[in-house]
Amino acid sequence: MISALLILLPLVTAVVLLFARSPVALRGIALAAALATFVTATLLPGSAGLFRPWIPGFGAYLALDPNHAGGILALVASLVMLPTALWASLRVESGANRFLAALFAMWSGLMGLFLARDLVLFYVFWEVTLLPSLVMLAGWGGAQRRQATLKYLLYAAAGSFAMLLSVAAIRPLSGAESYLFVDLLAATERLDVLTQVWLFAGFTLAFAVKLPLFPIHHWLIDFHEQNHPSGAADVAGTLYKVGGFGMFAWALPLLPEGALQLAPWLLALGAFTAAYGAIIAARQHHLKRLLAYASLSHMGLVAVGLFGLHLAGLSGAMYLLAAQMITTGGMFLISGMLHARRGSFDADSYGGLAASAPALAATTLLVLFASIGVPGLANFPGEFLALLGAFQASSAAGVLALIAVIAAGVYGVNLYQRLYQGPEPTPVADLLPLEVVVLAPIIAGTLWLGLAPAPPLRAFEADATVTVNQLQQAGAPPDARFGTLGEVER
Amino acid sequence: VTVPEGFIVWSVLAPALLLLGFALLTLLLAVFLSDRGFLAGVSLTGIAGAAVFALHLLMQSQHGAAEAGFGLRYLADAHASALTLVILLGTALAVLVGQGTRERLRIDQPEYFPLLLLSATGGVVMVSAGDLITLLLGLEILSLPVYVLAAWRSDDRQSQEAGLKYFLLGAFASALFIYGIALTFGAGGHFDYANLMAAFSAPGFEANVVALLGAAFLLAGLGFKVALVPFHQWAPDVYTGAPTPVTAFMSVVVKAAAFGALLRIAATLFASLEPGLFGGVVPSMLVVLVGATLIVGNLGALLQPGVKRMLAYSAVAHAGYLGLAVLAVGHQGLAAAGFYLAAYTLMNAGAFAVLTQVMDDDDRGDAVERFAGLARSRPYLAAAMTVCLLSLAGIPPFAGFIGKVLVIQGAVVAGHGWLAVLAIGMSVVAVVYYARVVVAMYFREPSGAATADRSIDRPVGAALVIAVVGTVLLGLAPGLWYTLLERGQNLLVFVAAR
Repeated sequence: MISALLILLPLVTAVVLLFARSPVALRGIALAAALATFVTATLLPGSAGLFRPWIPGFGAYLALDPNHAGGILALVASLVMLPTALWASLRVESGANRFLAALFAMWSGLMGLFLARDLVLFYVFWEVTLLPSLVMLAGWGGAQRRQATLKYLLYAAAGSFAMLLSVAAIRPLSGAESYLFVDLLAATERLDVLTQVWLFAGFTLAFAVKLPLFPIHHWLIDFHEQNHPSGAADVAGTLYKVGGFGMFAWALPLLPEGALQLAPWLLALGAFTAAYGAIIAARQHHLKRLLAYASLSHMGLVAVGLFGLHLAGLSGAMYLLAAQMITTGGMFLISGMLHARRGSFDADSYGGLAASAPALAATTLLVLFASIGVPGLANFPGEFLALLGAFQASSAAGVLALIAVIAAGVYGVNLYQRLYQGPEPTPVADLLPLEVVVLAPIIAGTLWLGLAPAPPLRAFEADATVTVNQLQQAGAPPDARFGTLGEVER
Repeated sequence: VTVPEGFIVWSVLAPALLLLGFALLTLLLAVFLSDRGFLAGVSLTGIAGAAVFALHLLMQSQHGAAEAGFGLRYLADAHASALTLVILLGTALAVLVGQGTRERLRIDQPEYFPLLLLSATGGVVMVSAGDLITLLLGLEILSLPVYVLAAWRSDDRQSQEAGLKYFLLGAFASALFIYGIALTFGAGGHFDYANLMAAFSAPGFEANVVALLGAAFLLAGLGFKVALVPFHQWAPDVYTGAPTPVTAFMSVVVKAAAFGALLRIAATLFASLEPGLFGGVVPSMLVVLVGATLIVGNLGALLQPGVKRMLAYSAVAHAGYLGLAVLAVGHQGLAAAGFYLAAYTLMNAGAFAVLTQVMDDDDRGDAVERFAGLARSRPYLAAAMTVCLLSLAGIPPFAGFIGKVLVIQGAVVAGHGWLAVLAIGMSVVAVVYYARVVVAMYFREPSGAATADRSIDRPVGAALVIAVVGTVLLGLAPGLWYTLLERGQNLLVFVAAR
């Protein structure tokens, strides 16, 4: 019930917001609904799911289950959406009700996407979430928004339709009773290798667009550069980079033989994406473009963790995905706050803000360091485990991905210098009380995932074990390289 | 199959008879009454009455008690009654759109409504036919009123050209179809599907080549009506030239009726030919036609500057997706097609209904530029168009998405994986041309078109509400309709003896 409520609450809010006229009512509704949704999300762990027939005869169910990796991601995403909704209600001026409605619709879609345990339902949420994301970019984007929107739509549609083919084919070809995860899991071993490879390739296209992986990442840069300067839409877009989750929760466990065939290539691609993104990020001047490339680099690391096909890497990849929701999301919110002060995203036009805005500088430093993987903060455990998994599969890929971690230090420290140190042209306001409220959940999340990694990691591991077991069965003879449970716990 | 008792079963004939009766009634009333709104109301009453009977028949088929008349020559099983409902829905939408726009478009002659009802009667007969002669009868009843309707705007050369072109090519298609009937009769010695199936699958059946030729001509004849490439050439011109409310009717009702008949023939005659020596010939032909339709329809739509012509080509493309269901008749293809046609009727009629509101009073001006800024000047109209186009593009949570999943799944199960890949690839192309209109509505500045401050014609608004609500509802709760199709009993479906 909690799961269903978590999807319906933001959806109903979105509809209500469409009809809200006065700014006060708008902010009140948005704040109350965001808080309510977040509280609902905190009730997720251990709650019962939802299970009822949806399209009888076709084998599709309305099946939601919070007690797996998706439940954790839904919780973390809600933690990030809470300040984002608040920030958007403060910063978006024209058509704020429609923008917020789109934001809440996206929240709803993301929750469904993470909680769905039926493949058709998962696909529906996957696609539906695209629409509000497009609406925000199209309606509130910058001067080049038309090109950016079309590019985003085309990449997403091409990938999604390829997945649709695999979704439509996987049940009848495997003879599964329904599209439920458990039914498919039991049935897909009947598929021969070639069919698995094709089906896996279909999923991969969709997930690689959304991950994103080089060379189909171009939409991402324009997407972030053109979105509304508040950064709220960028945060929602960051949460929507769910390709890694799709791989982890659906494609890898269901199609282990296909994964074994294609993983080496994808591992190499992921490692290259990580290094490429980080190096390009170091050369960017536009703040949002920089963050976009940094995000691309993180996603490369997620891919590296996934396609190492090792227990530690798989859970590490999900951990990194959760952590970067908070850190990258937080960085986009901070970029919006900077833009509110100077009206520019050109990193070179800033400088020395630490003198007049020490609290803002300290917060930025914390989130930025978390983002580049400093130990003790959110991204580190995930990055470490993802790289560990990659080294089990190929040390060359591991070394390539390590470049990303080093380059991250370069662009991270460099960015902080450019923004906050050196001579200050004109003083700016320090963090306003409302901005403190907005950033508080981000900081809390950064510390939470940095200091207490064990509980969420255990949830990811439980799911990863299923995948590893599938891989063990698929790879004859059984192979020790996929790892065993308990190895990860240090 | 248990053959229902009795030769003439009135309940089986009720939907068609009721439609025919109301067609004649409106024709008579039109002589005395000048109130067209009243005529539209009478037409809708007739449609609703027929729908009640069709729904009753559909429910009967749920309990395995599907009825048939004339010794299995007229069927009222799940397939027939479901497609009857789809045809009635399409006709109702066309009545509403016609009623809303008839004065402005100068298609205000009183025979408009009776002709729609007559044509729908033919469609109902087609999808219910269990016999080639009955089918031919339905085909002609369906087609003749549409020839007239296409040429309805008598002062418009484009409309006249559309009518004439449709008539000439339609006559040609009928000739091919009759030739197919003759050859099939020569091969099997019967006109009704039940006996033909028995003849074709009997041991020692040897007239395979004649039977295959017959099947090929039947396929070509119906291929014309559903606009499968290469028999599609009339479609873009006729759809563009005909008055837009008539185009809406043609693109949904004629397609539903012709596909209903084609699916029935595929499930019976074609299927019973398959175990034979040249059994792969008809499916292979169909594969080529469907593949070509997907390519030509989608690429054609991509190249069109006008929205009406784009929708005409997109109608051809959707014939390709429905063709996938025809290939999958042995694997839930009938149910998949039934769902797809319902979704297609709602979203396509909806798109044409919006088009009538944007075009000029002389039914011209369908350039994409006319949609520029529509989201600002007429937000509800733009939203309705967006829902219809997204659904046509196969994006969830709309009905078109579920339809697409069903037909693609059918194609994969039937062993046509590559065709499914092609269909998916072409869907990406489709996103481009549908998105072009949406982009114009939401991104471009208003072009200052004369229609910007026009309000939506009331009946068209009603049609749009039906189309949009239906599209969303079938997308969110597809089980409502699909379960009826999937559980319903179908008569005469050929099952090869193993």
